[in-house]
Amino acid sequence: MTFVVSLFDEIGGALLFLQKILRTFFYKKVKTHDVFEQIWKVTYDSFFTTAMAGFFVGAIMTVQFALQMKEFGALGYLGGLATSGTFREVGPLLIAFMLSGKVGAYTSAELGTMKVTEQIDAVRCLGADPIQEIILPRFIGIIVSSFFLLGGGLIMSVFGGMLMGQAFAGVNFEEYLRHVPMIVSPVSILSGLIKCGAFALVLATVCTYKGYTTTGGAKGVGRSVVATAVSTMVCIVIMDWFTSHIGEVILIMVRGYRS
Amino acid sequence: MSLKIREGEIIFILGTSGTGKSVLLKNLVGLLTPDEGEIWIDDEEVSKFSEEQYLPIRKKCGMVFQHPALFDSLTVFENVAFGLRRHYQLEEKVIREKVEKALRLVHLAGIENKRPGQISYGMQKRVSLARTVALEPRILLFDEPTTGLDPVTTTAVNQLILDLSRELKTTSLVVSHDMNCALSIADRIVVLDKGQIVAQGTPDELKRSEHPLVKDFLSEVLSA
Repeated sequence: MTFVVSLFDEIGGALLFLQKILRTFFYKKVKTHDVFEQIWKVTYDSFFTTAMAGFFVGAIMTVQFALQMKEFGALGYLGGLATSGTFREVGPLLIAFMLSGKVGAYTSAELGTMKVTEQIDAVRCLGADPIQEIILPRFIGIIVSSFFLLGGGLIMSVFGGMLMGQAFAGVNFEEYLRHVPMIVSPVSILSGLIKCGAFALVLATVCTYKGYTTTGGAKGVGRSVVATAVSTMVCIVIMDWFTSHIGEVILIMVRGYRS
Repeated sequence: MSLKIREGEIIFILGTSGTGKSVLLKNLVGLLTPDEGEIWIDDEEVSKFSEEQYLPIRKKCGMVFQHPALFDSLTVFENVAFGLRRHYQLEEKVIREKVEKALRLVHLAGIENKRPGQISYGMQKRVSLARTVALEPRILLFDEPTTGLDPVTTTAVNQLILDLSRELKTTSLVVSHDMNCALSIADRIVVLDKGQIVAQGTPDELKRSEHPLVKDFLSEVLSA
């Protein structure tokens, strides 16, 4: 029972915190220099990791699809299907996981340390709003940079897929790419982008919230980092189901059939 | 608890850990909201103030934290100028003058371009003090200003509190464990236990107190 109460307490707290961030975003001046600095920092720090992850995801998807499609003699569609699956689902999900481990944990630890060493209190005492000064630039930075990272990761996934298609299934590069424009529809790309935005929103909210509400010294910072890693993973998976489900419902309503 | 602080007074709040000394200071500057009761600063009851309403209060009540609480990504100059930029609309030249003056007051002139990570913990504490003093607050709140410092720096910081209070004519409220320092520079000492005031008075009055906690604090001074 206590667990359920504290779970709802945390969810409520995180939503109220998100409301505070959004209110600050809409009603106060956004520190653009700090926002660009954060976008650059997150993108620069995580680009290699997400690009590598993307490369291998593309490769894995190709290998998995190739195993199935060989039996049907449909290897010509390998590139299109592997790329579509990566763009729609696996790419955004994996990049969100990578970011939650890297950026989420880092942001939570950084903010947690600022909290327990009274830097956030000092910001308030010195006449500034910590949400505006510290949280908002990081929040926007994580969301915007996750799109850049997704882009980089997806491009690398195509390369990974092309190489594996050639090496594993004997599908040359041209053949691999031929059906990509046909199968990877604008809906697939939009779906990936929506998922990416939703995951980034969850990640940015959870890690800033957990960091900002840290108490209890170094041990508390450790607890916040662990809680951030666990909560973001769980929330991202729930958000994945939610966006997939809602996306399908909207598509059926708009087009009258499943995508 | 009920406590009245007179203008220009140096008052020390003593007590064991967890008695609510830091909570008292944080309530005064609105970092925490009291569950009940009233807080009067000048002629204003501030306990129900919003964050925006607290801004002018924080201009006149400067707080020096237990940790230096300096911003790692900023230089010493930027740290000290931080509050000046947020609280006032000042020209860059004026800000520079005020920062240099504040750093001179804490005997740290010439380290403006260093980052907090490049200076010692004692220096960080003094920069933190300069950051608060630069705002020229009428009331200075110190949360354990000498914790974690070596004896030489402790003496220097205590002397600094005395000098600042006399030079800037500020009211100083110091939360501390250091009875020795309290006896030497405080106008009045308040001893807290479990959130209640158990003894208060001038250093001489405290020396005559029969309260066991006060005696414990005094015995440490005598044994030292």
